[in-house]
Amino acid sequence: MTDTDDILRVNDLSTRFFTEQGQVNAVDELELRIERGEVFGIVGESGSGKSVTARSVIDLIDAPGEITDGEIWFDDAELAETVREDSPDAVDGSFVDLLSVSPAVRQSLRGTSFSMIFQDPESSFNPSLTVGEQLAEAVEVQRRASANPRSTKAKTDSAEYSFGNLLLSTVLPSQQFVTEESRERAIELLELVGIPDPVERAGEYPHEYSGGMLQRAMIAQALAGEPDVLIADEPTTALDVTIQAQILDLLDDLQTETGMTILLITHNLGVVARMCDRVGVMYAGEIVERGTLEDVFDDHVHPYTEGLLGSIPELEGANGQLEPIGGNVPSLLDHEMEDRCHFADRCPMAMEDCLDHPPEFDATGSEAHTVRCVLATRSYTERDALPPNYFGDEERPAGDKHAEPDRSDGEQPAERTQTTISDAGGESR
Amino acid sequence: MSIGKFLVKRLLQGVLVIWGVITIMFALRAVSPGDPANLIVGPAADPEIRDQVREQYGLNEPIYVQYVDYVQGMVTGDFGYSFQSSREVTTMVLERVPATLELAIAATIIAVVIAVPLGVISASRRNEPADYGATLFSLLGISTPNFWLGLMLILLFAVFLQDPMETYLGFSFPQGRRTVGFGEAVITLVTTGYAGDLLTWVRHITLPAITLGTYFTAMITRLTRSGMIDEFGKPYVTATEAKGIPYVLIRYKHVLRNTMIPIITVLGLQLGTLIGGAVITETVFNWPGLGDRLIQALNARDWPLMQGIIVFIALGFVLINIAVDALYATLDPRVTNE
Repeated sequence: MTDTDDILRVNDLSTRFFTEQGQVNAVDELELRIERGEVFGIVGESGSGKSVTARSVIDLIDAPGEITDGEIWFDDAELAETVREDSPDAVDGSFVDLLSVSPAVRQSLRGTSFSMIFQDPESSFNPSLTVGEQLAEAVEVQRRASANPRSTKAKTDSAEYSFGNLLLSTVLPSQQFVTEESRERAIELLELVGIPDPVERAGEYPHEYSGGMLQRAMIAQALAGEPDVLIADEPTTALDVTIQAQILDLLDDLQTETGMTILLITHNLGVVARMCDRVGVMYAGEIVERGTLEDVFDDHVHPYTEGLLGSIPELEGANGQLEPIGGNVPSLLDHEMEDRCHFADRCPMAMEDCLDHPPEFDATGSEAHTVRCVLATRSYTERDALPPNYFGDEERPAGDKHAEPDRSDGEQPAERTQTTISDAGGESR
Repeated sequence: MSIGKFLVKRLLQGVLVIWGVITIMFALRAVSPGDPANLIVGPAADPEIRDQVREQYGLNEPIYVQYVDYVQGMVTGDFGYSFQSSREVTTMVLERVPATLELAIAATIIAVVIAVPLGVISASRRNEPADYGATLFSLLGISTPNFWLGLMLILLFAVFLQDPMETYLGFSFPQGRRTVGFGEAVITLVTTGYAGDLLTWVRHITLPAITLGTYFTAMITRLTRSGMIDEFGKPYVTATEAKGIPYVLIRYKHVLRNTMIPIITVLGLQLGTLIGGAVITETVFNWPGLGDRLIQALNARDWPLMQGIIVFIALGFVLINIAVDALYATLDPRVTNE
């Protein structure tokens, strides 16, 4: 991490889901700065909006979800040059606001500038196509993109593969989307991520792979586009502990080699400690504390961060009890959210000041360390504390249920690793 | 398991099924009342002649001997003679097969050609007017009885619209009554270049094929719609979107292909049923197929003919199922491994 320039600046990002129960504020006015070449971790419970944040960046929010507000500035001089003509407002220097460009341009960045690794490799591959073919598709996207350098609209028009092409491809192999070169490159990629017998393996189907192998294949697939930013959404959650370590090593090596930026989404603080340069702790759609690893692990201010770290079991002196954070993830339904610190109802140090929504305060430690908690400016006093039953002593309905429309098939057993905080790991849109 | 082994296993299962059908047919005949000899020579015949006939048809033998003879005959392709017309059952069945196959295949083609695109449109424009239209269509199609639809089509096209269509379009859709076979028509076209026979065939088969295919079309539309919606919700679709490949590939190469896997099974089963004789449609349209003949055989209590037709239908059903399984195994790589 030698450069200190930002590759991604997310301002005021709000992603909401419009469900039958009401509007869900999955991501609420989120600010994020990610530097080129760093590994930025977002950590939080399930339902905190971390997956939705990642998906907002790569534009994978499906209905009923919608990015309602905000800017996502992406540093790409070449793209800026192309876009300047059509949408001058979306360009600032070498930065482009991805939420102001046309959907076609945004779509064209997927698989080339941004790639994503998903939580559950087994369900993230199409079961009826070979792994090699699926990788080759990703390679082909990159190949076609570099064959058609972005000149005005070339990227979006001529590179488009139409229904006609698809129909023709059933009789004319030359009309197929995937070319032989891409298939060969796919085999190289499999080799790169350490899959033995890549030639044979490329011809096999996902169900013939083990989970760890398949996650390697998914990483290979994500690398096919030589992305600037790799988004890894719980890349190790579905895997055994030993395999987890291998996958993290692999990601680490590849990151060092290619210098790509990684946005790592996890609920596993062990993974954060192992991989990240900087980290943001997410709660109720906001980043409540962010900073370098040392800031968050050693100098944290927010009681939620404290709670997360307190719920990690320790190997040495494992006689103490785990300290779970009391209560549930809050409901993110708009009409149930109050304008206060969202953690106040679970916070052991809630005070009267917490009834106002706190801004981000600078905290001790590195320059990057900020926290959304009044404790950064004052200390806790019994005199201002809220009475214990201030928010009602009955438990709120499980916030998780409302929190985000869950894809229930992505559910993973929670406590698989030692450093897992209570999190169902529910994959969210 | 290789595809070869898979097929051998399925074939052996098929043999068992056919044997079961043959046995049940035999048992039904053995327990059903009435003396078959009466059917052959008539109730008023001389008792001596009746005995002679019994002897001739082997009806005096003990039941197990009759069974062994019967199975033996079936295995060697000898289905016996019709009680009613004394013709060979095999001939009587085979001469009706082309008409039934033509109708079944035409109905299936209509169904697939209409239903799959309709289902795709419906699924991709969920809750839009196109989707409502397709859903309404499939609801109507599923709830319309065959015989009624057939009669209405006859009334509309073969009665009311026949003259106007002849006058203004130069053709009309007759009530059915196949006058020329598809095979012959194609041979005529190839050898003499005369397309008239083929067009006649098309005109004659149109109404029965629509009648037979409507329910089927409606069902496949529904299956395609719900299958695609289901498939679109799977995580691999999001992961494929993340790769940035063109949308048309996601929709067709990935989603539709996976949706079609279960639909092909349904198609195969349906085709099997259709071959079993679209009894009602064939009767309504006077279509000279197996279903039509089966009704004749039933009315005359012509057991050998009935058995012949039913065993043939069972055979067709089994073979189609094997073909579907083989196709399934090539489409879904997980099948052969299980």
